[in-house]
Amino acid sequence: MKIGKVDVKVSIVAVAVFVFFTIFLLYASLYSPEVRSQLIWMIPALFMLLVIPMALNYMSRSQYDNLEPIYEAEAKPVRIKMINESMVGKPVRIEGVVERVYFQFLNRPQYLIADRSGEISVKMFTSTKEDIKVNDVVEVLGQVIRRYVVTGDPVINCISIRKIEKS
Amino acid sequence: MAENSRKDPDQLTETTTRLHGWLELAVPFFSFGGIVVAFFFLGQGNIPAMRVAASGCIIASFILAYLAWIRPKKDIVALTTPLYAVILFVLPSELIPDLILPILYAVSLTILLVRLKYRFGEPGTAVSLGKEFGGSLKTYIDRTGSFLNKASPDTAHRATLAFVQFAQGDYGKVARLSGTVSMPGEDTGHEQGLTRAFTIVREHAELLDKSLPRPFTYTVFKPEDADILANPMPSDPDQDHEFYLSLDNALLLLYSVAWTASQRDRPHLLACQAFAQKLMNTK
Repeated sequence: MKIGKVDVKVSIVAVAVFVFFTIFLLYASLYSPEVRSQLIWMIPALFMLLVIPMALNYMSRSQYDNLEPIYEAEAKPVRIKMINESMVGKPVRIEGVVERVYFQFLNRPQYLIADRSGEISVKMFTSTKEDIKVNDVVEVLGQVIRRYVVTGDPVINCISIRKIEKS
Repeated sequence: MAENSRKDPDQLTETTTRLHGWLELAVPFFSFGGIVVAFFFLGQGNIPAMRVAASGCIIASFILAYLAWIRPKKDIVALTTPLYAVILFVLPSELIPDLILPILYAVSLTILLVRLKYRFGEPGTAVSLGKEFGGSLKTYIDRTGSFLNKASPDTAHRATLAFVQFAQGDYGKVARLSGTVSMPGEDTGHEQGLTRAFTIVREHAELLDKSLPRPFTYTVFKPEDADILANPMPSDPDQDHEFYLSLDNALLLLYSVAWTASQRDRPHLLACQAFAQKLMNTK
């Protein structure tokens, strides 16, 4: 779903929560007059379960879209092997094959990207523009961060990930 | 002190290994042991003694977190178990104290311990934790030290700058570094090799700074440089492999001359040891 220029996606978990509480509310309102009397605020609250995740996704996606040109200009193309703890905070560009995908259903996808020199975790804190699958050849723009913020091995905080070749 | 200097920091001592083994046993010992003791007191009608079960779980959590901390690859789940232990067993709660929660918690800790052992490897050595110098990198530097120890302090310092700035991704600064090599005294025949290393690193830094691809012509090491290189140059015609392997070898050569000939720069080089070790593992 597009809002302006931003492609907004709601995670399947948010949709499942909305569906669950809709069914719950319908069932409760059928059998309980007290619930029926409160529907005037319960129905808007129910829709908030979808609207809030959509708004958050819109805000994060538009922010990432604004950052993308900055990273396009500043990020240096590096081999994965060159990324190390000393580069924390630096914008980088890598190309590689997607070896694994995690948490895509949560709109917080994580990928394991590999090139000829090594592999690295790529974490994204919003939904991607494209549907990225295992074995896709991708280009990643992002910033080198520590896996657990203050400690851990270097990973990439992804701003943009896009396919550069058909898998 | 002399004995300590002969210790290999890349190996855990037998005492340390045995201690880690006992600590791994201590996790189920304390967690389930506390529950067993609590059952004993419960049988005697001493209800508040169920806190013994909780105490055992708390102690086991801290031991598990320590075992997770000393590993180079951190397991955040195991690291945060003390926090959960405090929330579940220390903070005031409306839950009626019983033994179900400690039993489930003890089972979880044991599963996490097994996961920690098999997914997160062995506890770190002083080398893998970056506290001391060792491994295959040390072997390489020991091998090349006699060839490179005649380098001037200025050359060694510039090698340090080149390596550290390249590791940090400051390719523009590396590209502007001068590559003049000075090795006064006995001619070991490796001055040219060191000059080529500076040239290779500078070329790659310029390309990376301007986001340019591999050029058609580029500097590589010559066969006479073989005894100061960390990884043998390939004989196959894969130009990409030759191009990138030359960079890895050039960076390692700069690291070696910096370590050998510039003692005051060693803390900076130690901080980049993990990166240098990664370059050593080039295939």
